[in-house]
Amino acid sequence: MRIIGQERQYAMAVSPLKNLSGDDNHQASNAFTRTLTRDFELSGYFRIIDPHAYVEDAQQSGFELGQFNFADWTSINSDFLVKGAVTVNGPKVQLTAYLYDVAQQRRKMGKSFTGAVDEVPRMARRFADAALEAMTGQRGPFDSKLAFVSTGTSRFKEVYTQSIDGQDLTQQTHNSTINLFPDWDKSTRFLLYLSYKSGEPGLYLADLKQRVESRITSNRGIIIGGALSPDGQLVVASIERAGATNLYLLDRSGHEMRRLTQTAGINCTPNFSQDGSKLAFTSDRSGSPQVYVMQLSGESPQRITYRGNYNTNPAFSPKGDRIAYQSRTGGRFDIFTIPSAGGDPTQLTEGGGTNESPSWSPDGRYLAFSSTREGHPHIFVMMVQTGKLIGSLTEGNGNDTAPAWSWWLGD
Amino acid sequence: MTLHQRGRGGWVTKGGRAASLGGLVALGLLLAAGCSSKTKGMQGEGNPVGSESNLGGSQGSLEQFKNTGTLSGSGPLTDIHFGYNTYNIEPQDGSILKQNASWLQSNPKTRVQVEGHCDERGSEEYNIALGAKRAQAAKDYLETLGVEGSRISTISYGKELPLCTDHDESCWQQNRRDHFVVQQ
Repeated sequence: MRIIGQERQYAMAVSPLKNLSGDDNHQASNAFTRTLTRDFELSGYFRIIDPHAYVEDAQQSGFELGQFNFADWTSINSDFLVKGAVTVNGPKVQLTAYLYDVAQQRRKMGKSFTGAVDEVPRMARRFADAALEAMTGQRGPFDSKLAFVSTGTSRFKEVYTQSIDGQDLTQQTHNSTINLFPDWDKSTRFLLYLSYKSGEPGLYLADLKQRVESRITSNRGIIIGGALSPDGQLVVASIERAGATNLYLLDRSGHEMRRLTQTAGINCTPNFSQDGSKLAFTSDRSGSPQVYVMQLSGESPQRITYRGNYNTNPAFSPKGDRIAYQSRTGGRFDIFTIPSAGGDPTQLTEGGGTNESPSWSPDGRYLAFSSTREGHPHIFVMMVQTGKLIGSLTEGNGNDTAPAWSWWLGD
Repeated sequence: MTLHQRGRGGWVTKGGRAASLGGLVALGLLLAAGCSSKTKGMQGEGNPVGSESNLGGSQGSLEQFKNTGTLSGSGPLTDIHFGYNTYNIEPQDGSILKQNASWLQSNPKTRVQVEGHCDERGSEEYNIALGAKRAQAAKDYLETLGVEGSRISTISYGKELPLCTDHDESCWQQNRRDHFVVQQ
């Protein structure tokens, strides 16, 4: 992960955790501070002060308010400070951390965690989310997952998942064909994706907890793509039949419940609103690919995009008030948002290769998208409000596309 | 190391990586009655089926891509091409489709799978839809020329399996194609 130029950021110090017992090699402390540092950087709000500059010895000083000297932190121009302590007892970890406002010499928030040693990075993500909430009034988005498609080290597009900060990279499919369009349910237990592994395109619903999957197939026609409802119970599939590509509502066993669009052309890229009541999709019914919104019943389809002659891959914001999409401009795509009831579009990317497949963070503050700005497509993240690019979420020589940012993980 | 059965592809060996869908139990809700015949010769997860060559059969693009990483446009039937973001048959391709139809009529035991392909410029999913339209357009045309519809299946690969990987119009033009795969 790299962080690309930022302005107006707070200077943040992330101190090593004080070892109360059992963390003599600082493994737990390192896992916590490394993860927290990445998440703070990815938030776009902070510039992390190089730990080599820290003058205080975390093991010698305290971590509670009044047990350490704020002057050690004002002297290195720190606006905020995270301090904490850890106890490791066999496989169990007990961890407490506080966010301090250095100028105010106040504690802003704190959190305590208990869990297994390998859960320490997740403790850091939850701390980061809570710290953002304390500072901005809105919970941060880092205790979540990213699914995406990558060629990895092969020529085959496979589905991968990882944490937002890049840890726990897991190749989820291994079929050496073509796998596309991963889509989460809100519980992040189920992942829908399109695969050619049987020789023809099919939708597969994977249960990541039970490690089983079912194929959702159509008894006629070609499956083009699909979306999983937030509650994981419904699938909207784009299916081509006798020349017309329409959206169909299916239950999770593939049983067809309703046809949702009725045009002779193309209707594809369905996307559910977070409350499951609406669909955004692409249709060429006007003569070019444009973004539409309709009720899940198929009623009241409304064209949303009018600028540009190739608008696709719509994604509802978590609140449902805006839709992010990609629009073709001069031979490549840029990311835009537009009010979901229609209105003026806002352009968020300009140039830097092609920018595609926007996916919202669960807090609605960020968009992940694929971009060729550095050559191979990778997944990047930007702030929605400003379009400010924060950095890349994936690295390596593979082609990374089709990001899907999950909802927050459950307890 | 454990053995798992994966659909029709036969037995495959799965490595020790527990956290992967590669070894998922296929619940296989294969509702389609015609599914297995439709994919004959396309054994997606299995080995290439060599017997296809008996009747002048050609490997599908996905199989070629799986096996060698490169595609050849060759086969007894000739590709047709499309304009940017369109799926109507170009007038000059009518004669190619007539030749293809006549080959199919001379080889009545064969079936054909029409593969719709796109250039790299559109989005992935919209291109799969576009490729499906292109394949269907050729199927319709072949049917009007007297080839039985039951002998023609369609598939779309969108922009996933390009013949040519340069980023210019001459390449894009080659990639916007219907490829005809003869199946036994």
